[in-house]
Amino acid sequence: MTFPEELKYSRDDEWVKMLDDTTALVGITDYAQSEMGDLVFINLPVAGDACEKGVALCDIESVKAVSDVVCPVTGEVAEVNEELADAPETLNNDPYGAWIAKIENISDFEELLTAEEYRAYRNC
Amino acid sequence: MIRTLRYYMESGTDPYKNLALEKYLTETAQEGVCTLYLWQNRHTVVIGRNQNAWQECRTTELAKDGGHLARRLSGGGAVYHDMGNLNFTFCVRTQDYDLRRQQRVIVEACRLLGIPAEISGRNDVLTDGRKFSGNSFYSHDGCSFHNGTLLLNVDMANLGKYLNPSKAKLESKGVPSVRSRVVNLCEQKPELSVEMMEKAMIAAFETVYGCRAEPLCSADFDQRRLHELWEGFSSWDWNYGKMRPFSFSCSAKFDWGEITLEFAVRDGLCEDVSVYTDAMETEFVAPLREGLCACRFAVEDLCARVRSLPECGAVAEDLCALLREQDI
Repeated sequence: MTFPEELKYSRDDEWVKMLDDTTALVGITDYAQSEMGDLVFINLPVAGDACEKGVALCDIESVKAVSDVVCPVTGEVAEVNEELADAPETLNNDPYGAWIAKIENISDFEELLTAEEYRAYRNC
Repeated sequence: MIRTLRYYMESGTDPYKNLALEKYLTETAQEGVCTLYLWQNRHTVVIGRNQNAWQECRTTELAKDGGHLARRLSGGGAVYHDMGNLNFTFCVRTQDYDLRRQQRVIVEACRLLGIPAEISGRNDVLTDGRKFSGNSFYSHDGCSFHNGTLLLNVDMANLGKYLNPSKAKLESKGVPSVRSRVVNLCEQKPELSVEMMEKAMIAAFETVYGCRAEPLCSADFDQRRLHELWEGFSSWDWNYGKMRPFSFSCSAKFDWGEITLEFAVRDGLCEDVSVYTDAMETEFVAPLREGLCACRFAVEDLCARVRSLPECGAVAEDLCALLREQDI
């Protein structure tokens, strides 16, 4: 399992890639996709929506369950990776390439972990 | 670790109330407690969380016959429920969730009834190689449930009547249903009743977890919260609207010409409608297009709009007939 050094991680298994001080890409970690199993559908958020740290950003259906993607930051959804609607399996195959949403005007963060801390937290 | 077992049997058969109760029992789950909820829906097609109602179900036909369409929280495919089906849900905190153990309850319940059963993959329970129980799963905010059907004596003709319409003209993104060969458990045990299955499920629940299960009392439920959940589950928005945009087209030839209607549907409403026709008289085309915009994508609502347009007078009944014969 890989956890790129340049990303930050939430305890709910999302990754955050800062593009500048108040803009970031958000996705799910390698650990999250492997726990969920094969993904069959993602209910994407909508550009323009407000999002809040600790609150569901969208939900994902895998062969094991429907579960939430918990937003690691508070801000606004600037862009959504629409390609995932046609190919949710990209989240399994390339979890760090498959960003879900670009969040802008970020005003607050969940407590985020480094790659090393996250690996220790998930014990993998 | 599960130390306490509870169960609740709901006698009401309103699918929206039952789904509200399932959510309520899950969101109020406590650590170390597993609740087994047993329930039945009368005459209902239940679609998976991320399915398109019109793609999975002949909604017009179902509504005409007094049936309900309900969207559940968990994933997977569309199923038909009637009083020959018993639903179960295991409601727990996520750390107490144990799918294999929960599924062993079903196998054990069948064993108590003298019916052979085996788990197949993650979603199915089989008897003699045929599926009688389909399972689906949901996890939210630290709580999880695992639910499923138990086909005891379901009307299989209805199952075929309302599910699996032809999808040729509907283009949509969503989770497709997987068709399985299903069987009623009464084929294995003709005298099997819902009450017998309920008793067997609770006895098996106690055996598998090794402690007594105590019944929950509905008087203790938060009625205001249940009503709020019921409003969500019974709403058009949740059952039909909660879907990515999709398109639908239909066409027919009449003595006045050929016509094709194309609908772009968003949140359950016609966002855009295109009308193509080789008819000689085309003054109805623009009013029809405008008249159908923002209409709910439901056959009877569309027909009402068509009939209300004076420009459609001569062709209105033909258009309504075309809409009514669609597999949606």
